[in-house]
Amino acid sequence: MPLSTQSQDDEEHYVLVASLDNARNLSNILKAITFKDHAVFTATPNGLKVTVEDSKCLQANAFIQTEIFQEFTLKEDLVTFQINLTVLLDCLNIFGGNAVAGTSTALRMCYKGYGYPLTLFLEEGGVVTVCKINTQEPEEPMDFEFCSTNVTNKVILQSESLKEAFSELDMTSDVLQITMSPSQPYFRLSTFGNSGNAHYDYSKDSDMMELFQCTMTQTNRYKMSLLKPSTKALALSCKVSVRTDNRGLLSQQYLVRNDDGQICFLEFYYCPDEEVEEEEEE
Amino acid sequence: MKFRGKIVDVACLNHFTRVVTTISKLTKTCVLRLNPDNLFFVLSGKVANGGVSMWCELSQANFFDEYQMEGVSPENNEICLELAPENLSRALKTIQNAKSVKVKLTKKHCPCLTVCAELPTLSSISRVVTHDVPVDVIPKRLWHEFKEPSVPDYDVSIYLPPLKTIKNVVDRMKNLSNFLVIEANMNGEMNLKIETDLVSVTTYFKDLGNPPWGDGASQDGGPTQSRDPDSMAEARVDVRKLQQFLVGQQVNPSKSMCSEFICTSSTSVTKVSPKAGGACPSLHPRYRPSECPPPDSAA
Amino acid sequence: MQCVVTGGNVKVLAKAIHSLSRIGDELYVEPQEDGLALRSVNSSRSAYACFLFAPLFFSRYSIPDGRNFRCKIAIKSVQSVFRSLATLEKTVEKCHIELNEQKDRLTFTLHCKHGLLKTHNLSYQDSESLQAVFDKDTCTNEFRAQPRVLVDTVAHFPPSLEEVTVTVSDERMWVRNHVEDETERSKAMLTELCLASDEFDHFVVKTPNSVTFCLKEFRGLLVFAESSNLPVSMYFDEPGSPVVLSVTDGVLEGNFVLATLSDDPSLPKNKSKGAHAPPSPPPDDFMNDDMDSYLIAMDTSVASGPSTAGPSASTLTDPCTSKLPEANHRTRTHSEEEEEEMEDGSDRPPNKKFRSLFFGSVFPPSPKISTQPVTTQEVLASDSEDES
Repeated sequence: MPLSTQSQDDEEHYVLVASLDNARNLSNILKAITFKDHAVFTATPNGLKVTVEDSKCLQANAFIQTEIFQEFTLKEDLVTFQINLTVLLDCLNIFGGNAVAGTSTALRMCYKGYGYPLTLFLEEGGVVTVCKINTQEPEEPMDFEFCSTNVTNKVILQSESLKEAFSELDMTSDVLQITMSPSQPYFRLSTFGNSGNAHYDYSKDSDMMELFQCTMTQTNRYKMSLLKPSTKALALSCKVSVRTDNRGLLSQQYLVRNDDGQICFLEFYYCPDEEVEEEEEE
Repeated sequence: MKFRGKIVDVACLNHFTRVVTTISKLTKTCVLRLNPDNLFFVLSGKVANGGVSMWCELSQANFFDEYQMEGVSPENNEICLELAPENLSRALKTIQNAKSVKVKLTKKHCPCLTVCAELPTLSSISRVVTHDVPVDVIPKRLWHEFKEPSVPDYDVSIYLPPLKTIKNVVDRMKNLSNFLVIEANMNGEMNLKIETDLVSVTTYFKDLGNPPWGDGASQDGGPTQSRDPDSMAEARVDVRKLQQFLVGQQVNPSKSMCSEFICTSSTSVTKVSPKAGGACPSLHPRYRPSECPPPDSAA
Repeated sequence: MQCVVTGGNVKVLAKAIHSLSRIGDELYVEPQEDGLALRSVNSSRSAYACFLFAPLFFSRYSIPDGRNFRCKIAIKSVQSVFRSLATLEKTVEKCHIELNEQKDRLTFTLHCKHGLLKTHNLSYQDSESLQAVFDKDTCTNEFRAQPRVLVDTVAHFPPSLEEVTVTVSDERMWVRNHVEDETERSKAMLTELCLASDEFDHFVVKTPNSVTFCLKEFRGLLVFAESSNLPVSMYFDEPGSPVVLSVTDGVLEGNFVLATLSDDPSLPKNKSKGAHAPPSPPPDDFMNDDMDSYLIAMDTSVASGPSTAGPSASTLTDPCTSKLPEANHRTRTHSEEEEEEMEDGSDRPPNKKFRSLFFGSVFPPSPKISTQPVTTQEVLASDSEDES
């Protein structure tokens, strides 16, 4: 009904119309960056970018390229709005959002422009849900100026191997320390908790290590509380690229394969927590 | 006052357990009424406990292989007990593999519904487990509180879509709002709606069908007959109460146990204006999971 | 100290630590000549557990010469070394445990698949030896069963249940939930299981008796026994003296010593069968279909009560909850003991009524020592960290 009652008239007023046969292809990837309520949506001819930030120290971006959508119509070069991501996810998952064989939620997402709500039409098994989510003035996302020419160290790992480490991380440690080095210990994650410290060393020759390009030894600490949200991205992804630049800024890029085998990306930037004293204890 | 029943059939035991577990998710205490033909689990809705009432009717022959009872007197051949369904559910859950289960009214340290199961072992002797579920015997003068509720003349009655579907929708709506509006008409259409400052969500169900409520009673032009079939009757309910009802549903009516399942939320009690605050119509799920095949035919 | 654990034994070690964590907050580590001893005790000292891993359990085992070393560590931090219990077997190839006395560090190094190396440096505190006094060999009642039998038995009780009472006769064992006081009794569901002696591999009852002990710790041992598929032995004498639960195979031995509720000393020591025997009819009753013996006609006053407009529902139950003699004495016993045990500094109320395992006075005059390699006896209550 509601899907069919949209008049041609209405259709013409939308600046953005995006449809997916499977709403999970959007909801899953957004779930991975839902650590704050507010997200900025930026639609360009390349697709949709969703940005979430925390404490001026963390920025997460989800990229859903145009090809992922069955329809992606943009009337302007750039459409941006801010929206409550938690609410959006509840709406996208209104029919449960679980992968059940043979069922999927179809989605049509429409936006008329500044001041209008984002309208979702969802349909599963003949049942239709219409959601109107209010939008807000978008805030300008931070620019971390992370530039590939300044990257000093880079590794690409299969996510599997980091998942285990992240699930075991000692959460009594305030920080996660990452050491990257052309020599031993190559790639090390360290925590300093109540009961002692722990180090996870990944050999550069490991079959989990797809790429190892470290030019100098670098040790930086990042707030555990900020890193923790990326566990969801890790769980979703199949590969992760970890890079640091000369300022110690950390970039994680996750390659995510959706239900239909298509590829999307998630990207996290973190500011380092503090300078690490040169003298290392082990 | 005596009661003794025996379940041998695994499917019956399993089904009985699921019924009791469903009830245990709805309420901490309820009343179990026994008469020679039926068992009733009754929760009589008081405003104090949120206005949820429940009436669950089980034909004893569909569950028990043996069933004997003697009520308080020949003219009042019934037993009325108050118990914590959680206890009964827990007792039943641990004995799903029993060779046989006896349920009897006993007097131990206090009146008890004793669930006694014979469990298989590797040895020649069965293992016996006994659960004494404490009960309160309800005096006859209070029985009237636990009579089958009279069904009001609803504006609209409608068959619900699969409860799983509603549950998913209601679960999400609960995250977004405290109250939910159910609207339905006599044309088989039902909508669930929420509206807040942030978001409005409406889910549209159609082709649900309307039960012929009240049979002869409303034949002569009850309110359901004279309504415009497209006109929506709406009720505003506490999402948590609705969710509580949906969450416990272990008796999966869509599963083909040839159980006909009618579940009616009494949506038409009143049209509560949104400003009425906490007032919500009584949620009155009606259970009739009684068409489980009798043990004999199942075998 | 240096030891190396490989293959499936890593999981065995991890499971042992996990089950010790059901007992107390600290793990006492003591490398001994005859193997590595890992122990734990609960805060009220009513439960104690020890695993001894023989040198053969390890692919390498070396301990410092000539000197006893002992330490204790927060058990949580050791558990965190073996956090992913489920995948441990697949991921960890070798576990290296090394003691660095200079740095006061116990280091666990896990060599994992794909060249991943996990190093946990745990700080420890020195400790005295921890030892419970018990002697399972003199216990008059002895049982051994496959873990499944006992796991299936405790499955009938809710996870929140504190204590179970085990009653034995020549041919049967009854297990039921222990309910504190009368007011609770009238509300609580009572569950009782009856196991025939031939469900056990070994069943010797010299003194038919009844003991009540904590379920949580018992479950801890069962989890271990089940995962390593080791039969569980149980030993006990009489109320007040501990029950010992044991598992053993060639290279390891686990003993869980749990205090039991004491009997009322004022009662004649007739093995209290009467007081503790389950109130249920004889075990064969189930097969017996004589209805009248089970259908309990409610007391006439109760039955007629409802039809008259007289008493309220609550008073109706009174005749049924009338106090039983043994219940009275039990309640009194508890309160006496509570006072007695208060100075223990225990913070877990359920344990208070148990006597500490470490008060020698509780035990018969000549406490024999044990399968444990006890060195000293003066250290029975050696954990001096109460103030920390």
